[in-house]
Amino acid sequence: MVLLRGFLTLVIFFLLGEAVRVLAGLPISGGVLGMIMVTFTLMVRGRVSDELAAASQGLIAVLVMLISPGVVGVFFIADRFSDHWLTVLVALSVGTMLSVLTTLWVMKKVAGVEGGGDD
Amino acid sequence: MIDGSGSIGELMAVWTAGPMLSIAMTLAAFLAAQWIFGKIRRPLWMPPVLIAAVLLTAVVAASGIGFEKYQQGARWLTVLLGPATVALGVPLYQQMHHIRALWKPILVTLPIAATLAAGYALVIAWSMGASPMVMASLAPKSVTAPIAMGIAEQLGGSVPLTLGALLITGVLASLFVEWGTRWLRVKDERIIGFALGLNGHAVGTARAFEISPTAGAFSSLGMGLTGIFTALLLPLLLSFAR
Repeated sequence: MVLLRGFLTLVIFFLLGEAVRVLAGLPISGGVLGMIMVTFTLMVRGRVSDELAAASQGLIAVLVMLISPGVVGVFFIADRFSDHWLTVLVALSVGTMLSVLTTLWVMKKVAGVEGGGDD
Repeated sequence: MIDGSGSIGELMAVWTAGPMLSIAMTLAAFLAAQWIFGKIRRPLWMPPVLIAAVLLTAVVAASGIGFEKYQQGARWLTVLLGPATVALGVPLYQQMHHIRALWKPILVTLPIAATLAAGYALVIAWSMGASPMVMASLAPKSVTAPIAMGIAEQLGGSVPLTLGALLITGVLASLFVEWGTRWLRVKDERIIGFALGLNGHAVGTARAFEISPTAGAFSSLGMGLTGIFTALLLPLLLSFAR
């Protein structure tokens, strides 16, 4: 029952997120809108119930399982993109390496200046 | 003999009529992937999601169910991606004191890094003569799957190619973050988590939760903000380009 109550809360926030997406015509998924709404609701309430914490922990633990069926599709359609694979691989690997390094570098620079006072 | 293959055929028909076979295969692949991942000493280049997907692909291909049938049944599990994304808001709230302490670097880094996460790959693909369809499929490469599919469709890309790009990007981002933090001497788990989520979406976030709850929360934050930012920015940029 404890898990179900927490799960119901998550599903309701997902439905609310979908409602905001459709009614406001946003290009953002209902899940992400629901995530933002849960965070703000918890901030206003000032605490998180054990039920919600347990249910969200359970779902986050199986996140990988929920993604894997979508990934299977990639292997079945791979041959459709055989003409583009070199471009795709180079763009993804070099692009991701550069953007990871940029993120770490910028964040370290700004946080270093900021954190100087606190630490 | 004929009778035997007949009842086996009947059994397969019964098993694939509902989603249970797909669910069993997905659960088994997930658990096996966790076990294998532990056995081979948790290599970054082979995360559980990739192991599970390879196992599933082999089983789906060998069993002859066909990808369409499998996908139909697995939808009973994948619908949970919606509430699972919502669930990321809970660690986000629980780590809010860390986020408050770091809100300025987050706000400065987000627009630069999220733009470049798409920008670098697009410039490289464009310089290599990629078609508009390929570029549109690659553009949301660092965005979490449900948002990325929407963006790819809106821009005229191919959703399956986008999903492939997402997987590759997620795995590579986990690897490059590991190397990058050593090279740039970043030890702050909050920065590591944010970089994982911003560049490697859900795959990076799964990796971040292996590091620590704080890294996981910052990864969820990076993933969510990048998704929102990219979903708003890319269609806008494209409408100017046209």
